[in-house]
Amino acid sequence: MKRTLLLGLLTTWVSCANAQDAYVIGLSGALTGPNAGVYAPVVEGIKLYVDHLNGKGGVNGRQIRLLIQDNSGEPSKAAADAKRFLSQDNVIMVVNTSLSSTYAPMVSESKRAGVPLLFAGAVCPKEVYPPADELQFCTTAFTPGYDTRMAFTVIKEMAKEPVRIGFAAMAIPISRAEMDYAASVAKQMNMTPVETQISPPPAPDYTPFATKLKDANPNWIYSWSPWISEVRTFEALRRIGWQGPYVTIAHIPAEEELVRLKDPNFIVFGANALFQDNQPGHRDIREAAKNAKLSYSVEQMAEGWIAGMAIEQALKNSGWPPAPEKLVKSMNDLKVDLKGLRDGGIEWTKDNHFRAKQSYRVYRWDPAKQAIVRVKDWTEIGAK
Amino acid sequence: MQLAVNIAVLAAIYALVSCGYVLIYRTSRVLNLAHGELMMLGAYGLFTTASLFAGYPLLAIATSALLALIVGVLVYVLLMRHMAGEAVLAAVLTTIALGILLRGTIILFWTAQAQHPIRALGLTNQSIAIGDAKISAVGLTLIVVTACVYAGLYAFLRYTAWGIRMRAAGQNPLLAAQRGIGLHRIYALAWGLATFTAGLAGMLVACDSALDQTMATIGLKAFPAALVGGLDSLLGALLGSLIVSASEVLIIYYVDPLLSEVVPFIVLLAMLVVRPWGLLGTREELDRV
Repeated sequence: MKRTLLLGLLTTWVSCANAQDAYVIGLSGALTGPNAGVYAPVVEGIKLYVDHLNGKGGVNGRQIRLLIQDNSGEPSKAAADAKRFLSQDNVIMVVNTSLSSTYAPMVSESKRAGVPLLFAGAVCPKEVYPPADELQFCTTAFTPGYDTRMAFTVIKEMAKEPVRIGFAAMAIPISRAEMDYAASVAKQMNMTPVETQISPPPAPDYTPFATKLKDANPNWIYSWSPWISEVRTFEALRRIGWQGPYVTIAHIPAEEELVRLKDPNFIVFGANALFQDNQPGHRDIREAAKNAKLSYSVEQMAEGWIAGMAIEQALKNSGWPPAPEKLVKSMNDLKVDLKGLRDGGIEWTKDNHFRAKQSYRVYRWDPAKQAIVRVKDWTEIGAK
Repeated sequence: MQLAVNIAVLAAIYALVSCGYVLIYRTSRVLNLAHGELMMLGAYGLFTTASLFAGYPLLAIATSALLALIVGVLVYVLLMRHMAGEAVLAAVLTTIALGILLRGTIILFWTAQAQHPIRALGLTNQSIAIGDAKISAVGLTLIVVTACVYAGLYAFLRYTAWGIRMRAAGQNPLLAAQRGIGLHRIYALAWGLATFTAGLAGMLVACDSALDQTMATIGLKAFPAALVGGLDSLLGALLGSLIVSASEVLIIYYVDPLLSEVVPFIVLLAMLVVRPWGLLGTREELDRV
């Protein structure tokens, strides 16, 4: 009995010592639930980077302990995760990889504890734009406002006749708000918005939504929503005979989906370079993935990998022993070279927790080459 | 014309899913709230068999359909059988637990990645013109399969010994047992058939669009259709599916797509006010609920 008790105490002491010997980070992500297909690969990408880093000796000679919790995209679970991370695990950073509905509870917990909150693979909230909230940071490629302005840049350049544009959104606030913004931009650019279709997450059949959109007779359609809604509305449109160009943000599965769809008029734009561009950063990811048992394809790892690079640099600059205040200070003056994964790197200042510039590449499928081709190289989109 | 086609496809989806709710309810009085997850499991079964039997789509489809039937029987034998004699609510709660377990298991085995069984089968989903409307090949198959399933179930329940026993067990289990009908076998068969039809729906929906975690929710969306028609009537399920899908498609087209999610429940509420036992359900059955 005594021996068991001693063993138990020893185990507790060892695990506490391990925790104190490592940088502890808490991640709450939508690993299950309707939109898990977009978020779970990002979490795996972050884990891949952290494991790779720990394998090389960690940061400042210390390991990173990444605690991962599944919030299924539910605010209540995200709140519970954040409370646990901050009160029990004493993390020095909280990471959100989930739906926008989970932001509010995590933001309030992070503020209460004075611990930085990183949005990685989750849409950047406006609080990271200048003048930024002191504790909120974002590495995510896709972001409202900028994405839509890029979409219209593409449409304006490619359109050969007056544009009658339709919009496809999902029935979630952030997607609907972006479509409202898109309609206002369209008017400013002398384009005619003809219809906005908002599908629920999920619909058994997207054809009824596509039918209404098609009957409004658009010659372009733009969609900014979770991938499931973007791609299924597009496929439904094709099934009922609409053959026009469809522009959408390149979410995590975009590269594989372009190959699957093989449609030259399915045009995606993204701030992350696709793996076919074979940048040094892509080669690093492929190398690390060789020794890892991944559940998702390597082409879906870039977003998480980029977040991992930012976390590493922030920890490196903050030194040892870890403290949230030191980490915030380090994150307020951060520069990360992304090795070609994006145009330029991540640059955070005290006022800007988004990035110094936001650029996009545009891709589509080329039937003649039977490959994905670049329609447009890095194009910078300025602030609003 | 396109609207009529859209209504037919959506009604076929709802009808194929909701007949499973009806089969289990009319036989054992249990509301199976894991029906959506069983539908999703059937679709993942097809994805797996399509990969295993690459180049043999018919074999893959037949194997996964058979697996769905076996899974349904196993769910009854291993789980629901032990609920016999317990309060109906306990059995319903058990199905909720089963649904949670299945969702977790599915994500462990197949991840959250969207899958495309039709590609694994080596088939394509071409568009077919019907007048000035278009329908996908899988959408058309859905309508045909739903018609065949309903015709088959009608014939089975009306003309076969097992079907008549199933109806007897549903009407009066005690009397049926006294007449020598093995209730557990009948219930197991009902669960097997319900999971088989749910599996078929899952496979076809997955082939028409894609397969991911959201399919369980689609399964639940068919529930109002079953309630509108009357939970103990197969014909009612068909009629309820038509009404719900027509309301949904017409609201999307003529009013506001945002209302599409609430329309089935508005129809359901209206039905509960006017005729709580559903269009073709029986009042006695509802009293027992």
